[in-house]
Amino acid sequence: MGIIHDAGQNAAIGLPVTRRLALLGASARALAPYGLRAESRRGGTLTIALSSEPTALVSATTVVTPALSVSGKVTEGLLRYDFDLNPQPELATEWNVSPDGLRYVFRLRPGVKWHDGKDFTAADVAFSLLLLKQVHPRGRSTFANLTEVLTPDPLTAEVRLSRPAPYLIKALAGAEAPILPKHIYEGTDAASNPNNAAPIGTGPFIFKEWVRGSHVIYARNPNYWDAPKPYLDQLIIRFIPDAAARSAAFETGQVDLGYRTPVGLADVERLRHHPDLRFETKGNSYSFNVTKLEFNLDNEYFRHLKVRQAVAHAIDREFIARVAFFGNAVPCASPIAPGLREFHDPTPSPYPFDLAKAEKLLDEAGFRRGANRTRFRVPLDFNPVLDEARRLSDILRATLGRIGIAVDIRAQDTGSFVKRVYTDRDFAFTTNGLSNLFDPTVGVQRTYWSKNFIRGVPFSNCTHYANPEVDRVLEAAAVENDPARRVELFREFQRIVAAEVPDINIASPVFLTIYNKRVHDHSLTANGIEANLADAYVDA
Amino acid sequence: MSLDNFWRRHRTLRAALRNLSFTAGILILASVVLVALSAPWLFPGDPLDMVGMPALWPGEDPAFPLGTDSLGRDVAAGLAHGARVSLLVGVSAAGIGLLIGTAIGAAAGYSGGWVDDLLVRVTELFQTVPAFLLVIVLVSIREPSAPAIAVAIGVASWPTVARLVRAQFRSLRSADFVAAALVSGARPSRIILRHILPNALPPIVVTTSVMVANAILTEAGLSFLNLGDPNLVSWGSMIGDGRQLLRTAWYLTALPGAAIALTVMSINLAGDGLNDVLNPRSGSH
Repeated sequence: MGIIHDAGQNAAIGLPVTRRLALLGASARALAPYGLRAESRRGGTLTIALSSEPTALVSATTVVTPALSVSGKVTEGLLRYDFDLNPQPELATEWNVSPDGLRYVFRLRPGVKWHDGKDFTAADVAFSLLLLKQVHPRGRSTFANLTEVLTPDPLTAEVRLSRPAPYLIKALAGAEAPILPKHIYEGTDAASNPNNAAPIGTGPFIFKEWVRGSHVIYARNPNYWDAPKPYLDQLIIRFIPDAAARSAAFETGQVDLGYRTPVGLADVERLRHHPDLRFETKGNSYSFNVTKLEFNLDNEYFRHLKVRQAVAHAIDREFIARVAFFGNAVPCASPIAPGLREFHDPTPSPYPFDLAKAEKLLDEAGFRRGANRTRFRVPLDFNPVLDEARRLSDILRATLGRIGIAVDIRAQDTGSFVKRVYTDRDFAFTTNGLSNLFDPTVGVQRTYWSKNFIRGVPFSNCTHYANPEVDRVLEAAAVENDPARRVELFREFQRIVAAEVPDINIASPVFLTIYNKRVHDHSLTANGIEANLADAYVDA
Repeated sequence: MSLDNFWRRHRTLRAALRNLSFTAGILILASVVLVALSAPWLFPGDPLDMVGMPALWPGEDPAFPLGTDSLGRDVAAGLAHGARVSLLVGVSAAGIGLLIGTAIGAAAGYSGGWVDDLLVRVTELFQTVPAFLLVIVLVSIREPSAPAIAVAIGVASWPTVARLVRAQFRSLRSADFVAAALVSGARPSRIILRHILPNALPPIVVTTSVMVANAILTEAGLSFLNLGDPNLVSWGSMIGDGRQLLRTAWYLTALPGAAIALTVMSINLAGDGLNDVLNPRSGSH
């Protein structure tokens, strides 16, 4: 039924045949893993577990993960994306990018209403995109080239750019670029607008209640533009901070769904044997991560290339993926995750695991083994947010000890970690993670671009890496309109940073969505659980 | 015949049993100390080094009789080196607590008056803050390291000693031998150190043994919460690391847990025995 419905609606909108066929293909692919089935069932409640509570229910002025998790249920975007990040219609039914990449025309879906009954129009789109450019943490860079949004008629929005922004077409998902009701936000301070805590949107679910410290409840929107969706009567988001408690909640059936590996990595293997639980890796392609070791290039030891090369020779990526991540990661020597297939350079690190080579390089750099067979002693700070960072640090401490580098692991809370690394720069090296997001310009450039060495800005260029050639390549890629040329630029970037090792990229975690077998059709888009869940349904 | 009567009639049996538990406590404690002292020879090298296949069960590989943890670290080596950390932190924390507590208790009990009032208020102030929370705050202010943890536990645990010492000093202050010493012109410091303190010592010694046991437990709790020294293996950190695998590799939690239980129990048994030895009025009347 899902397939037929899609086709009928697209035909009614009058999309060109080629696009309609492409959409049909995408739907069929999306449904394939679930097998053919008769009909999506109406009714029932779906409960999702999150590890922390959002600060707002709309991801317009914040991009903390739990806000991204819930926002799209109420507040939709212009587009959604298939697993390979190809755009699909959501609030926009058609889109057209001019050959010079400076003009985007969006045809908007007719008959869409806000939850308060007002009509959704191009004015809302124009208002939202311009607002996001000012208040969205990433919007400032994503929409930096946006000059104006024209609205020739209520169902057409024309976006004008000063320079090409090739990543822009991938930045329009509901969670990343929420389309907000102009009549509620206009003339107010967006960050303190009460709508952030009790949102009105166009989405399949209507906000019902937010009990702080416990849960958010959404009810079915009976007037949703994509009838008969949504199928669920009710959607409950529960906040369960303790990983062991989340495991127990999945096992007892108290929660049905969680994403980005919602349980401790050590628990995954055990839960795989649970008769009611299923695992899915799709629907996690809107933001891949790379776990890495970042050097402070101002450090007396790590400013030496040979020392960094030696550390790189001491990294056994296969072992780390298996042991630190309990196998839930793929080795990755590039800052661009393998998930961003077109950009990722699969070439292995020029410095393969070889402890003898590492020792030789350290000798050459002038750091010979002294008292206690130690060459030098450095502290290692780990990002306390990442499940795997502490284990990775334990492994590095043991391996680097073998080549004569004594490592003292330093533990601290998240605030202290961010302050130490990004404000005080009082660190030697750190086990950290980098969110690639949907495009390297948005997700990767920030830690290598010398102009993004800004003290006090979290997850900026903390290594103090500055290479004019890398700057040039990154800046060219950011405005390169030719996809093939852009890929070539990013390949060049990866070759340079792999050789110069300002950081060591180690592995890309494989994010798992865990769900009870009674739940269906939850992960149909690139950001499955962060999307609107209109298609999701549960067995009785 | 009630149990009380039974014990009263069999005083010798009771004494023997007391003696037995004291002996057992001392023996267990002595072996823990022995393992702690000989750890560098029994298990040379860094106990945090990855030496084997991850998550080997005890007995699976003869090279690692107690198995390995999820990173391939030797559990037996961890237990032996962990004993050093636990005992060292326990003893030094108790020592610090004892020093502060005795000084404040003695000053308050001996002086009386406004000094007493002030010190008692300060003691009560510390007592109103839950000790474990205070330790967490103190450790968080500095970086977690073994000395910082010992100091934090010591600072949080002195009020018990202070109250005890103060009570002892208050009662001994008016004893005849103190009056005699005063009359003979002895300085207060001499009276405190030479006359009152030795007589007040027995209950302090017993309390100290309990403090050592508590400090070991507190350190384990801190390490369990990942607030311990990340560069040292301690029983608490072993439990904290093993907790994730509680249902698939329970030995990672059970073995260090048993070590903590055994050590704390032995210290308590030894403390009870010391109480009998040092205080002839308890038990036999």
